[in-house]
Amino acid sequence: MTLAVDLDDKDRGGPAQPLLSVAGLVKHFPVNRGLMGGARSVVRAVDGVAFEVAKRETLGIVGESGCGKSTTARLLMHIIAPDAGEILFDGEKVGTAALDLAGYRRQVQMVFQDSHASLNPRLTMEETVAFGPRVHGFSRAAALSRAHDLLHRVGLDPSRFAGRYPHEISGGQRQRVNIARALALRPRLLILDEPVSALDKSVEAQVLNLLLDLKDESGLTYVFISHDLNVVRFMSDRVMVMYLGKIAELGPAETILQNPRHPYTAALLASMPSMDPNNRTQEAPLMGDPPNPIDPPPGCRFHTRCKFAAPVCSAKEAPLGAVGLDHAVACLMAIPGSGHPLAPALASEAA
Amino acid sequence: MSAAPLVDVKGLTVDFAGSAKPVRAVSGVDLTLAKGEVLALLGESGSGKTVTMRALMRLLPKSARIGGQVRVAGRDVLALAPDELAAMRGPVVSMVFQEPGIALDPVYRLGDQIAEAVMRHEGASRSQGRARALELFERVRIPSAARRLDNYPHEMSGGMRQRAMIALALSCHPKVLLADEPTTALDATVQIQILLLLRELQRELGLAVMFVTHDIGVAVEVADRIAVMYAGRIVETGSCARVVQAPQHPYTQGLLASRAGHVFAKGERLGTIPGSPPDLANPPPGCAFAPRCKVAEAICTKDLPREYQAEPGHVARCVRLAPAPATVAA
Repeated sequence: MTLAVDLDDKDRGGPAQPLLSVAGLVKHFPVNRGLMGGARSVVRAVDGVAFEVAKRETLGIVGESGCGKSTTARLLMHIIAPDAGEILFDGEKVGTAALDLAGYRRQVQMVFQDSHASLNPRLTMEETVAFGPRVHGFSRAAALSRAHDLLHRVGLDPSRFAGRYPHEISGGQRQRVNIARALALRPRLLILDEPVSALDKSVEAQVLNLLLDLKDESGLTYVFISHDLNVVRFMSDRVMVMYLGKIAELGPAETILQNPRHPYTAALLASMPSMDPNNRTQEAPLMGDPPNPIDPPPGCRFHTRCKFAAPVCSAKEAPLGAVGLDHAVACLMAIPGSGHPLAPALASEAA
Repeated sequence: MSAAPLVDVKGLTVDFAGSAKPVRAVSGVDLTLAKGEVLALLGESGSGKTVTMRALMRLLPKSARIGGQVRVAGRDVLALAPDELAAMRGPVVSMVFQEPGIALDPVYRLGDQIAEAVMRHEGASRSQGRARALELFERVRIPSAARRLDNYPHEMSGGMRQRAMIALALSCHPKVLLADEPTTALDATVQIQILLLLRELQRELGLAVMFVTHDIGVAVEVADRIAVMYAGRIVETGSCARVVQAPQHPYTQGLLASRAGHVFAKGERLGTIPGSPPDLANPPPGCAFAPRCKVAEAICTKDLPREYQAEPGHVARCVRLAPAPATVAA
């Protein structure tokens, strides 16, 4: 694609600098309890999250409802403002003179779960995809030409689909249009929030393959959010497991899925249906539902459902600590001398 | 299988007239369900799995026209008068819905909802009904059952609400339990708990269960047999193990190949089924899957394939399974 206007999408810090660097991200939502207002309490949706996304990698975020994965996506996109914490994009702090929000959003785009609700019902597919470029100063002809290129790239023949409205195409096709729209400003980072969860299985595979192809062709970076571990494993280089607003475990996809160190990650893996009729799941790995994020349990937030929980777990919170190359876990069992009976002894004691 | 099956469906069709073009959501489904058997109806949205299941209880909107024959526990369901139908729902067939938050009445305490069903169907007193409710809450392992009976649905978590829904469905000792995607709205760690609970209750109570799902993994965890639906027809039926290990219909094969859990090498692509399911207001002639099928032949777009047996108890609607020379002789 050759276009007269090209946007500020230069690589600034070189390949070693993370594309996205998040520190101390916090978002609490106030809620009123009871009919009379009562005491104000807060949902601790995201409660001190820090991670990095390297250039051209896919970071998968996985967790159950209420774990904060979608809030994290919205914070990354600046759809909602964080209460605390900062986001650096290729070394520049987002929302400052060096990188204002408009400039940031040209480079970071999002695809939502609900393909229907996220499209304007009164715009045709080509108008939808051309909208962003028009806003950013492209001529009508240039924007439409880019839209047609993109529709073609996501597997929708422009001669058939350019003039259609959202209600005239299937869910899988709509999600392709959403992806085309997200790519229209040639972003460097795509945030994909459950992009295939609403699709049928046979269509899900088509969209996942498309996302991999686009990444290979354009050197994109993805933050891929899903509740489905199989899908996250298929898509991601690294995986971040969240539980009640905090990171439970973070590391390379294969390491996390083959050798999980957090009991919650292990339970999530064991909860996946077995696919072997002769070897069905015999015991549920966890009891009960995830607790309400309004009143998260004290100490380690997972201790109420953890089969390894010790008294120290309700008193002390485990920081996210390294347990291997690029592999970190927030569990007292992984910290030497933490007071948990299953924790390794301190090096000085062992010597 | 000995006596007559508990559920016997022959040539079931369901048409929705309402909109501009009539839609045939189910076009000729035959299925049986024996006592103590678990059948999973597997299919994507619009395949007709939920409509098929709801036809067993006639829980369909007025615009639906049901044809064919539906027998449940000896009753001709399509011929029942309204009061006979109401008497059947609960003690003979009951249903667990996908969204307990919507299916349960938000303004009644859960214990009272269960007691009401027992009073209505068994002529029990209110206190007997409440006692049954307590027994059922303990059975589905709701912690602090006695206290939870006084909860309203919104006071419970999703997993607990689904347990309460199962308790309600079991309240009148049904013979057949229908479950419509009962775990789809739940988190993974809760889904497996509910699947194990349903499996345990089915075994202990000797229930016949029909389980609608879009997730093969879920079907494998609960089902004895799997029936795969596509565009309003059952395209493959067989034991759970054989359908998963030796799928016969190209659609089933495609579904299994497209699972993301299947691929382990980085950068590999998933097997896909091209295109999307057909518009049921304009179904393609012949085999409905032919336009997306990688091995379709000319005949596939002309004639509707009948069921062929791949092995005993395992059938699929695909002409590739037709015995080669016999087609002329027949």
